[in-house]
Formats: sequence, structure tokens, C-alpha cells
Amino acid sequence: MTSSLLRPPGHLSPATALQLSQQAPIIIKNSPGAVTASALSSLFSAPETPELWTIYENLLLSCLRTGDEESAHLCLGRLVNRFGDDNERVMALIGLMKEADAKDDATLEVVLKEYEALLQENPTNIPIVKRRVALLRSIGRISDAVTALTGLLDFSPTDSEAWSELSDIYFSQGLYSQAIFALEEVLVLQPNAWNIYARIGELLLMSVKSGSGDQNDSAKQLGEALKRFCRSIELCDDYLRGYYGLKLTTTQLLNDPPKPSKQAESDGLAPPNLSTLQKLDGLATEKLGEITRRFTAGEKGWQGYEEAEIVAAKELLEKSSSTTVR
Amino acid sequence: MAQLPPQTIQRDPQLFYWILFPITVVMVLTGILRHYATVLMASPPKKVEQPALKEQRSLMHGVAVRSNFHVLTAPSFKARREFLTTAFESGAYLKDPERRGQPPANPMTDPGAMDGMMGMMKNNMAMMVPNTLIMSWINTFFSGFVILKLPFPITIKFKSMLQAGVATKEMDPRWMSSISWYFLCYFGLQFVFNFLLGSDNAASQMAQQMQGMAPQAPNMFGPGVDADKQFQAEAENLAVIKHYSVLDDVEQRLLEGIKTR
Amino acid sequence: MTWFSKSTTTFGFLLLAHACYSAYEHSALQSHRAASLSSLSATTQQAAASSSLPLDISLETIVATVIITLGLVLNTTKLRPIQWRVWAGQIERAGEEGARNSSGEVDKDFVGNPFKLLESRPGFVDIRKQRKEFAEWVKQQ
Repeated sequence: MTSSLLRPPGHLSPATALQLSQQAPIIIKNSPGAVTASALSSLFSAPETPELWTIYENLLLSCLRTGDEESAHLCLGRLVNRFGDDNERVMALIGLMKEADAKDDATLEVVLKEYEALLQENPTNIPIVKRRVALLRSIGRISDAVTALTGLLDFSPTDSEAWSELSDIYFSQGLYSQAIFALEEVLVLQPNAWNIYARIGELLLMSVKSGSGDQNDSAKQLGEALKRFCRSIELCDDYLRGYYGLKLTTTQLLNDPPKPSKQAESDGLAPPNLSTLQKLDGLATEKLGEITRRFTAGEKGWQGYEEAEIVAAKELLEKSSSTTVR
Repeated sequence: MAQLPPQTIQRDPQLFYWILFPITVVMVLTGILRHYATVLMASPPKKVEQPALKEQRSLMHGVAVRSNFHVLTAPSFKARREFLTTAFESGAYLKDPERRGQPPANPMTDPGAMDGMMGMMKNNMAMMVPNTLIMSWINTFFSGFVILKLPFPITIKFKSMLQAGVATKEMDPRWMSSISWYFLCYFGLQFVFNFLLGSDNAASQMAQQMQGMAPQAPNMFGPGVDADKQFQAEAENLAVIKHYSVLDDVEQRLLEGIKTR
Repeated sequence: MTWFSKSTTTFGFLLLAHACYSAYEHSALQSHRAASLSSLSATTQQAAASSSLPLDISLETIVATVIITLGLVLNTTKLRPIQWRVWAGQIERAGEEGARNSSGEVDKDFVGNPFKLLESRPGFVDIRKQRKEFAEWVKQQ
């Protein structure tokens, strides 16, 4: 299935990644190794397509993940042949390869030094900046990673991927408000990204649960979380993650209503009144039930959800129904 | 209608070997030569310096905040607005802050702008020089030769196109002169080149794709545009926005939408 | 449904071919008759009057065109949603299934949720962690 090779493989399950990388030798054998620019040979070889290079890149990532070094080296070799090793993206891939090959921390330090040398030469080499951030984070130097990332965002504030990574780093440190700020920047750049709306909602909910912030804040945060989940569902019909979050938020608001606060009112983020909340709760329950039912029944056109998400939704539904019975 | 007897002109078959064939081959070969010449002469895209990149992207960020302000809640929009307007007005994102307020540099003296013009000149020269040469070559050696007859009838209007260089009034427009054959090759060989060289700009496009999706907005940041003025205008645009949010009443919209569906 | 639309299109083309052939035969017949008439030195008015195409051939051409169009329209794949939320919902709900075309293959330009990249972030991939996780997964199997 080459179509899944056209997408970056980061989110794939281990099984799919393994399957992809097992195909790698066949794909490498069947695709042209190098598309030459000479007139005569291009008459007899297959035409060059942009997809080919995307496939090589994604194959490289999958192979590195599954430890198939040989195929990974072949892929990288072909990319280097075509684009030269001074291409920024290829440079990042070479670095990635070295990171994966590194056996101990000393080697990683060497790779890090190489990145820094490259950046000395050309500070706007964005793929390398990103690799450096990822490596710093990977070896646990979080604060350095944040500094590097904010440096990148200072001269390139339109990079939504970087904002999203920044949010993730802040989140891993428990800094919810900074994480939410970064995600809002992502939304400014990608105003219709429904998963980011849901993500903001989740972060708000978690920050309330973690108990950071005072009581006044929690009314506002829950209100905003509710609205964010609603918006994500508005942008995407039958969005399981959005309904799941909506259900969690309404349950929280109904069982444990926060004190109404003036600030939430003035910002327009106060949670809605009780009847609306109950209606939203009913809606979320109904939709979650429908989605889980149709998924488990194996209905056609409803099989795109993740298995784990469906299981979680079922658990949530069971929990809420048992509490209402009691 | 009385049918005119078809004109017959006795042509030397050697015309084919010594005029038609050479012109075609020369045209194809120059086309290939030109392709490689442009590939060789093409200067790599110039690296953008970090401050310049910062200037461009910051302005684009400002535009994004202005056009997508509705995704933000009121307090976070206010905070961003205040931050961005102060930064824009103070010129914090400018490439060279000390040049604020001065008139924009003359594009002729700006080395960056000169580079772009030189690139255009080079391309034009690569087109023009071979064409002029071949045209004069054909004019000196083969002017006035009638070299082939089209296999289908054609109206009188085509006479000027097909018989350039042959001033014979009564000749059937189906006959074709050498200079017209040159023009036909010139315009019609595009597909042959596509076939020979691969789709012409495939290489350059692919290279750009690998460079990453760096959003380019050349018109906004062309030479001779005062970035400071753009920042000031953007700050003003941000300041006059009347904020509303998509989050206002979203739950009502959702409930109503689900009901009507 | 495809056999129906295909047979409709074929039938339409047959009809169109028939109309063309009829028109050709008609014109050949006319010119033949005109030649024979003029040789008999009869008036040419009659020939001019009957030289226009008969009504049934024109009608046949129009009907054939309509039938071909109908067949082609019926043969098109299902239209894609143009509303954002319906489109997004289809991606979430059906995954790759939703993007299959009539021959059962996943469309080439199908990318799934285009905003998934913001959460997987290929530019920041932590390859060492991924390798570790994969090794653990293999051990569990």
C-alpha cells in the first residue's frame, strides 16, 4: 500500500511501521535508483515524480524506527544522490540517521556539535534547527531545547509545527498556560485545525484537574474548554475526541459546578446555564454511543477510528451510566 | 465551380537532405543546448539572511493574527494585539533598525535586486542569441527556397505565414518556404523537448519542493518597499479590529445545528 | 450501476454513429440526384429545396447526444463533500475507506487529516525514543 507511504509515518502503529519497513527492500528494488538529468537515458527510464522522493523519505523514517539500517542507508543514499548533501532537508535526514546510529551519549554530543557547526554557518537552516531541538529534548536538556525553539520562533513565527512542538514541551513540564498560548498561535496560523481545538480543550481540562490556578480560574477554564470542544465538533462531524472531551467537561461542570466568576463573565467564557449543559451532555452521550455502536458493529464507513479511543469512550459511557443509576 | 488544376512544382529531392533536415536537426540541438545552458547559468536561490527572514515572517505573522483573530478568546487576543502593535510601531522586527525613516534604497544600487535582474537578463539572452543566429543563418543560406508541400488544402490566409520570404503571388498556399519551416519548428518543438528532456521544469520544481514549503511572498517584500511603513500599517490594522470570537455561543450553534441536521 | 451507465453510453454512441451515417448517405444521394437532374436539364429549385437535412436525422443526433451525456454523467464517481465539517467528519469516521474511488483504490492525493502533522511533527521526530518503543513492542509480541 504505497498511499500510506506518502504520509509521514510518525503516528503509525508499530505493526504498520513494521509492515512498511518490511516492504522496503522490494520498493527500493523496484523504483529507479537515480533519475538522471541526461537526455538519452531519460528516454528509457520512468519519469521522475515528486511522490518517489516522499516515499523514500517516509520509508527512511519507518526503517530507522524498526531498525532496518540497511534499507535506511539505501534510501538516504538515493536522496543524497538526487538532491546533494547540502540540501537542508537532506542534511536533517543525515543528522537523523546519525542520531539513530548513536550508541552512547558521547556520540550524541558529537552529533549535537555538528548541528551547532552547521547552524554557525547558516543560522536559517530550519530543518537543522528543528533536529537540534529534538535532540536536546531527547537527551533531557529541556530548557536548552526551549531556548533553541523560542529562538527559531523569534525569527520564524509562522511555523505552526514549531509552535505545536513548543506547546508539547511546555505541557510535558506542566506549564499549562504557556502550552495553551503556543497552541493558540497554531490556531492563528491554521484556523480550521479541529484536532488543535480539541487539544486546547484537553489541556484546559487537565490544568483544572491538576488544580493549578484558583477557583475563579476554573470556571473560566472549564467554560473555555467546553467551547473549544464544541468548536472542534462544529468543524468535524462525529469527531470522537471532541465528543469525548465534551462529555468529560459537562460531567465535571454538572457534578462539581465551579463558583461563577465575574472575570469569566466579562471575557465571555462563562459556562452555559444548566439546561444547555444537560442538553450538551445528552448530545455527547448519544453521539458517543452511536459511534461506539457503529464501530463495533463493523458498519462500513465508520472504521476510521482508533481502537483505543473507542475502548476509552466505552469505558467513559459505562462509568457515567453507572453513576446515574446510583 | 471550376476546379483549378493542382499546381505542380518540380522539386529537387536533394532539398530535403540539405535544407529541411538540417534546419530541423539544428533547431532540436539548439533547444537542448539552451536547456543545459539555462541549467548551468541558473544561480542557486539566494540565502535569506536571518534578520530579513525575521522581518518577512513577523509581518506575515501579524497578517495571520489580524485575519484569524476570531479563533482567540478576548483576553488572549488583547494581549497579542498589545504586544504586536508595540513591537511593530517600535520597529523591533526591522531588518536594520537604524535605517528607519529613511527613504527606501534605490533598487538599481541594491545588490539583491541586481541579482534578480541579472538572472532575467541571462535567461533572455539564452533565448535571443541562438534565435538571432539561426534566423540569420537561414536567411543567408536558404532564403527563397520552397521546401515542402502540405498534404492538405489550406486557405489563402495562411500564405503570409507559410511563404515568408517567397514573393510569389499566384502560388498555392500549400507550398512552404524554409523560413516558415523554421518558425514552425520554433513554435512546435516544445513537445519534442518535453519528451527529450523530461517535462521541462521538472528538475527545478522538485528542488524547490525539497527546500521545504517556505512560503514566499515576493511581491510584498520586493526591493524598494519600505518595511517600516508596512509594519506601521499592520499595527494600525490590528488596532482597529473589533474583536469577536468563534467561541461565542458555539454551544448554541452546535445544539441547533445537530437538531436541524 | 456502472454496467447501466456504460450500456447507456454505448447505445448513445451507436445512435450518433447511425445519425452520422444517415446524414452522409443523404448528402451523397442528394448530390447524385442533383447531378442526374441537371443532366436532364430540369429546374434546380427542387434540388435546393430538398437539400436540407430531414427532420428525423437531426432529431436522432440530438437524442443521441443527450443519451451520451446522460450515460457519462451517470458514470461519474460519487461527489466529494464540499462542506468543511462533512469532509472532516468523513476523514475521521471512515479513514481511508472514504477516499476510495470507483475502482476501489485509495486516492493518490488522500492525506487523511491534514492537521495530524501538527501533532506528529515529523520535523521534530525523536527517533531514539521511537526505536526504543518499537523494540519494546517487538518484545511484547
